[in-house]
Amino acid sequence: MAADIISIVVVVLIVLAIALAFSIGANDETLSTLVGAGVIKFKLALLIGGIAVGAGMFSFAFSFVAKTVGADLLGETLTYTDFMLLTVLISSIFWLIIGSFAGIPLSSTHSLVGSIVGVVFVYALTQGDVNPETAFNWVKLNNVILGWFISPTFGLIITYVLFKILAKTYLSRLKGLNQIEKSEKYFKWLLLFAVVFSEIWVGANSGEAVGILYGLFDKGSLNLGSYVFFALICGIASCLGIYIAARYVVRNLASQMIDSRPSEGLITQISSALILMIATLLSLPISHSHVIVFCILGMSLAQRKEVDYKGLGKMGMYWILTFPVAAILAGFIYFGFNLFGLT
Amino acid sequence: MRELSDKELKKLSIDELTHLFVDNINEQNLKLIEGIEFLVDENFEKFTQNLNYVIKTNTEVRIKKAFEAKIFKSKLMFSKADRLKLFNKINDIKNIGEYFANKMLLYKVVFPDKEFKLQIINILKSLETISNDLTKAIKYIGSDLSVAHNICENIKDERRKMRKEEWQMLNRLYNYDMDYLSRTFLYLKELIENIMMLADHIKSFSEYIQFLAIKYLIFD
Repeated sequence: MAADIISIVVVVLIVLAIALAFSIGANDETLSTLVGAGVIKFKLALLIGGIAVGAGMFSFAFSFVAKTVGADLLGETLTYTDFMLLTVLISSIFWLIIGSFAGIPLSSTHSLVGSIVGVVFVYALTQGDVNPETAFNWVKLNNVILGWFISPTFGLIITYVLFKILAKTYLSRLKGLNQIEKSEKYFKWLLLFAVVFSEIWVGANSGEAVGILYGLFDKGSLNLGSYVFFALICGIASCLGIYIAARYVVRNLASQMIDSRPSEGLITQISSALILMIATLLSLPISHSHVIVFCILGMSLAQRKEVDYKGLGKMGMYWILTFPVAAILAGFIYFGFNLFGLT
Repeated sequence: MRELSDKELKKLSIDELTHLFVDNINEQNLKLIEGIEFLVDENFEKFTQNLNYVIKTNTEVRIKKAFEAKIFKSKLMFSKADRLKLFNKINDIKNIGEYFANKMLLYKVVFPDKEFKLQIINILKSLETISNDLTKAIKYIGSDLSVAHNICENIKDERRKMRKEEWQMLNRLYNYDMDYLSRTFLYLKELIENIMMLADHIKSFSEYIQFLAIKYLIFD
């Protein structure tokens, strides 16, 4: 009977992980700069972006962020149970849905890591043989949280510096609209490469879905072949997420960017891609949306444009709240499972 | 100005069509100004001829059609909307000019005195200057936005001068002892106001060009 429940939970986890991969693709707005600049046809842009995200997600399934989410955040003596993973997914999905209905932009990464912390903490408290102090890999957890603060800051700085360099050495020398248009035509093709590069690292850093599968693989619920297969499915799901569902958010944002310059889009994309790449190679799951918002902020500061600090402060508050709220929510859900003997 | 066939118009670039369009509209503005000068000289035949030219000329309609067909298909990216707006603003000058010409043809006025005539000629000279300057500024948008920006600054200065002249003229007009000639009063008042309406549009157009310069130029 218990084995049956566990099998059902594993199946549910796989389905939810695939759904999460789909939603990661569905919420990806990276392509909007490319579509707004009219570089390539809309559907082709979705397809290329989808493949890049899917490829990024699948290629890094065995290391870096997936491994961090799926295993490395826990202390050496601890591995996830199926119900812990299920709670993590339920809690982060629930919190994200609340955020969507309330119109609050939330980070799936912060939500997922917050949920992991909440679940592990309750697990350590309810299981007599686990010390809460050794339940976590504190160095890793600290690095991850530090990465959430450092990555947007660096995104802002890199964008600011890159734009200043480009402005000083090239853009400020363009005098007429014809000359500006001509040079932007070259930038738009560079933008295509930057967006593809960025999408690969978005996929690689979005380890939430594959990380859950890695957790199943790490504890032995999935064998190597199954893990590779389902990681591939997650990659395909994120690709489909972009192609099927992201088109609305991309089209909406692209229509607002119709007169934005490809050179500006190129710099923000390169900056965010660099941050995502470095964070991925350091195995740190970070929020893509936080990084891109700060890259745009860096661009505004470099151009001495007005910044909505009030809106930014409000967004910052939700960003900070996501982690503890997801942790508390996950803790309660897991405690509920515990009451029914489901650990 | 030589009239181009539709085939020739199709071959022109968006920039060339804009330049051709603004040249065309400026030419009509200059005809309108010249027409008012004929009115000041009481040469009513040439006045009517010039103003009718402004009303009846429709070369710009063909240029506009060629431009619209081109801009919608063009692969220009971020400046597309601004170029279309720019073109429409040029077209507005034609509309104001046409309205102005139609109104002025309603009556043949005799000016009250030499000083008033002189002031009208002065204000018309300023209108001619800003109309020519605007044409130059529009042509510089493609090649050097900072030059276009500076020309627009001159336009704004000239328009400020015109505003002072306008108050002086209205003051003079209201203080003439000619209540019995209400049509003359109304006509002259409308003449001044229409000249200023055209000048105001040119001024607001020049501000738009300055906005474009600030939008597109990147200062290090």
